[in-house]
Amino acid sequence: MPNTPLMWKLLVSAAVVGGAVFAIYPPQERINLGLDLRGGAHILMEVDTEAAVQYQLELSQTRIGQRLKEDGLGYSSIVARDETSLEIAGTDAGRGADVRKALEETVGGWEIVEISDSGTGRWRVTVPPDARAYYTTTAVDMTLATLRQRIDGLGVSEPLIQKQGLQGDRILIQLPGVDDPERVKDLLQDPAVLEWKAVTYPPGAGDTANWVPPTSREAAIAQFGGALPADTELYPEPFTTEGGGTATLWWPLKQVSVVVGNDLRNAFRSSDEWGDPAVSFELTQEAGRRFEAATTENLGRKMAIVLGSAEAKTVISAPVIRGRIRDQGIIYGRFGVTEAEDLALKLRSGAIPTKVSIIEERTVGPSLGRDSIRAGLAAGLAGFGAIMLFMVVYYRLAGVNAVVALALNVLLTFGALGALPFLFSGANVRATLTLPGIAGLILTVGMAVDANVLIFERIREELRLGKTVRTAVDQGFSKAFRTIVDCNVTTVGAAIFLGLYGTGPVRGFAVTLIIGLTASMFTAVWVSRQLFELVLSGSGRRERLSI
Amino acid sequence: MIEIIKDTKIDFMRAGRPLMGLSLLLLLGSVGVLLVRGLNLGIEFTGGTELQIKYAARPDVGAIRAALEAGGLTSQVVTTIGDPSENEVYIRLGAVPGAGDEDLTTRVARTLRDADGGSGRLDLNVADAASIARLLAGIPDVGAEPATALAQAIVAERREAAIFAGFDELQAIPGFTPEIGEFLRDTAEFGPFAVRSQSYVGPAVGRELVRKAAWAILLSLVVMLLYIWVRYQLQWGFAAVLAVAHDALITLAAFSLLWKEMSLPVVAAFLTLIGYSVNDTVVIFDRIRENLRNRVGGSLEETVNLSINQTLSRTIITSGLTWMSCLGLYLFGGPALNAFAFVLTFGIVIGSYSTICIASPFLVMWKRFLDRRARTTATAAAAPGGRPARKLRNPSSRRAG
Repeated sequence: MPNTPLMWKLLVSAAVVGGAVFAIYPPQERINLGLDLRGGAHILMEVDTEAAVQYQLELSQTRIGQRLKEDGLGYSSIVARDETSLEIAGTDAGRGADVRKALEETVGGWEIVEISDSGTGRWRVTVPPDARAYYTTTAVDMTLATLRQRIDGLGVSEPLIQKQGLQGDRILIQLPGVDDPERVKDLLQDPAVLEWKAVTYPPGAGDTANWVPPTSREAAIAQFGGALPADTELYPEPFTTEGGGTATLWWPLKQVSVVVGNDLRNAFRSSDEWGDPAVSFELTQEAGRRFEAATTENLGRKMAIVLGSAEAKTVISAPVIRGRIRDQGIIYGRFGVTEAEDLALKLRSGAIPTKVSIIEERTVGPSLGRDSIRAGLAAGLAGFGAIMLFMVVYYRLAGVNAVVALALNVLLTFGALGALPFLFSGANVRATLTLPGIAGLILTVGMAVDANVLIFERIREELRLGKTVRTAVDQGFSKAFRTIVDCNVTTVGAAIFLGLYGTGPVRGFAVTLIIGLTASMFTAVWVSRQLFELVLSGSGRRERLSI
Repeated sequence: MIEIIKDTKIDFMRAGRPLMGLSLLLLLGSVGVLLVRGLNLGIEFTGGTELQIKYAARPDVGAIRAALEAGGLTSQVVTTIGDPSENEVYIRLGAVPGAGDEDLTTRVARTLRDADGGSGRLDLNVADAASIARLLAGIPDVGAEPATALAQAIVAERREAAIFAGFDELQAIPGFTPEIGEFLRDTAEFGPFAVRSQSYVGPAVGRELVRKAAWAILLSLVVMLLYIWVRYQLQWGFAAVLAVAHDALITLAAFSLLWKEMSLPVVAAFLTLIGYSVNDTVVIFDRIRENLRNRVGGSLEETVNLSINQTLSRTIITSGLTWMSCLGLYLFGGPALNAFAFVLTFGIVIGSYSTICIASPFLVMWKRFLDRRARTTATAAAAPGGRPARKLRNPSSRRAG
């Protein structure tokens, strides 16, 4: 019967084992697999905070135009003069006070200046520096919110979306288990700025309902006598020709939009009258009024639906307005089912108020992830098996001792990986098991066995010198201890820097190495010792030791 | 008990000179190799795009290259990887003129798909479960629930095989009926390939990663030097770092010779190798210190010799066991861990060699050098104004004094 202190120590060991098992059961839920094992997308995006100002400028262009129209104040054009100001031309010089009021209520806070011109009114509105700063700082937050909504719509489990980077202008997105990364990246990068614009028909275009614009910019401009009107711009609509090639229709559209995507209250996939996929939308009440007025005005004429970012806008369709549309409508286009669904999702989640670009991407397909797990397990079993075999053959019963300690080491490492989220819940510490992490585990076993070998060789040396079994064991453990500490400290030291400076999979490697080696101190020294004591505490003095 | 090595009395120090000469040759050779060949830097360091694509049928690498060139994607590397029966292709793009800092993975996939005649239908080899479910829900007799279940089953099956070659492979999936098969034949298709993994590293991120890796290595070395200085003595620290640098350099040269790809996990492997090499050196230094303290041997040279012989058993067994683990990784760990495992498998061997044949002799040589200097200074000290000689101190005397 082992003596009481030994029993307590064995109980402590058992308790630790129990804790580890508890922490990792059930393994599917507790152990957080990295993206390289689970499959998934890791995407780092950079938000162009400067472009946010331009986006606001464009939005304001539309809002000013809408407001002036509502107030019955005419204008001939609203054009962006430079990156931070708009110029409104052709207003009624006599109604300057009303114009100023309308501008103040639309772009309040901006600098509003009336540039006097002969006869017609001319105004310039400029974004002040503090508003500029506001737009740039909130650009990231607004983008984050929009992206979150879009990712929600994807139905990915446990997505990770957070700000990153020293300037706070990066967004990190991790989506486990993603099968179609192209679709995901499109959803994340498409600014999805949607606008309805009225068509400016060239003089002499008779049949407004069936008019089709020409396929080259020059021809389009020529139709207006060589120069487009001040409030009109050309927008392309690409399409496939009969022969399979691509061509572009160039639509002359009013710059100021009737209704924009921000006015949408809801959007969802539906079908048109032929059963093809389309996107239905609902407008806010205020926008609905505007839309109703615009459709009434444009009965029998075409209105274009334009989609795109600030740099690349395209017309997706230009239907004829056949009836008054108030606050519900439908967008037709050459959509597939998924495309319509994705467009609806983008519209629902709002436009991205600036330009975003992907600066880093790592995507691992799920099949590759499974292969990696299998390979890692195979290598681990091979390595562990070889070590186990050697230890038992070379050190006999002490070898079994070492194998038990090693097995415990692995168990404790997994347990720590499972328990870490508990200990630091709330903090962004996720101990994930990555492929290099599995390698780290295998390495830990190889290094942990070093501790055992150091001790056993010492014990053998002492026995050779003629010491008693008990003394040899004691001396072996105490003399080897300092060396073991030194060794582990150096490797852990290297691993700490890896953990600090590494990312993703490399950090997983560092974490498993550190946890594994620390646990090995416990198992190889303390637990192994207790097991020796267990063997030695048998009957009286032992003459021989199976080592 | 079985004992492989017992009471050896190999005179390691005498073999020191020629072995150090050999090491010097190896070092020079390594530097030469690295200067001439350079390193195969992965996209984590150079920036760029990388894809691993599995084809349904044997891929034509030449055709792929041509298709990419036609699509304006120049400066590419296209090779088959892994087992030929797996039909996998590895594509790597550097900076493409005109593309700026764009993420090119989408463009590569699209270019290759168009080259094979994409029809715009839903690609069952790529689409996710939600998209497939939506397509299936369009079938008159199929409700939303069964559509979702079937879509998920299809995707699960695809994850196993990585790619579908044809509609026959769908037959075995529960819930799949001939009518559904007919419908899919009209509305969907199987793309020629599936992307198993893709990566893009922009230049800004690439520079950051290089910087971080460099810092990690530098700080690790410094900390290790400091630690050994504290625990032992400064010149022992130099000896250890010398051995470590020797190991890292030779391993790096071997790495370059075999043209393996340098990536962040490989940097991690080198750091681990450094840790392991110091480990090894520390064990012997510990024994040397212990023997010096107990004044077991005679001269430093004899003590060092004795210490190495005493720890030889442990060194060989541990190195052997760790080496076996790494060999297991190298053989079975799959292509992703191959370069990583190589560094360790090769490095451990060199590491053990360097501890015995570099670090320890270095200590002895250093002492001899200091002794010689002490003798000359002592002669000078006979004359007035001379300075006392400096001795190689036993590190344990630091404690006493």
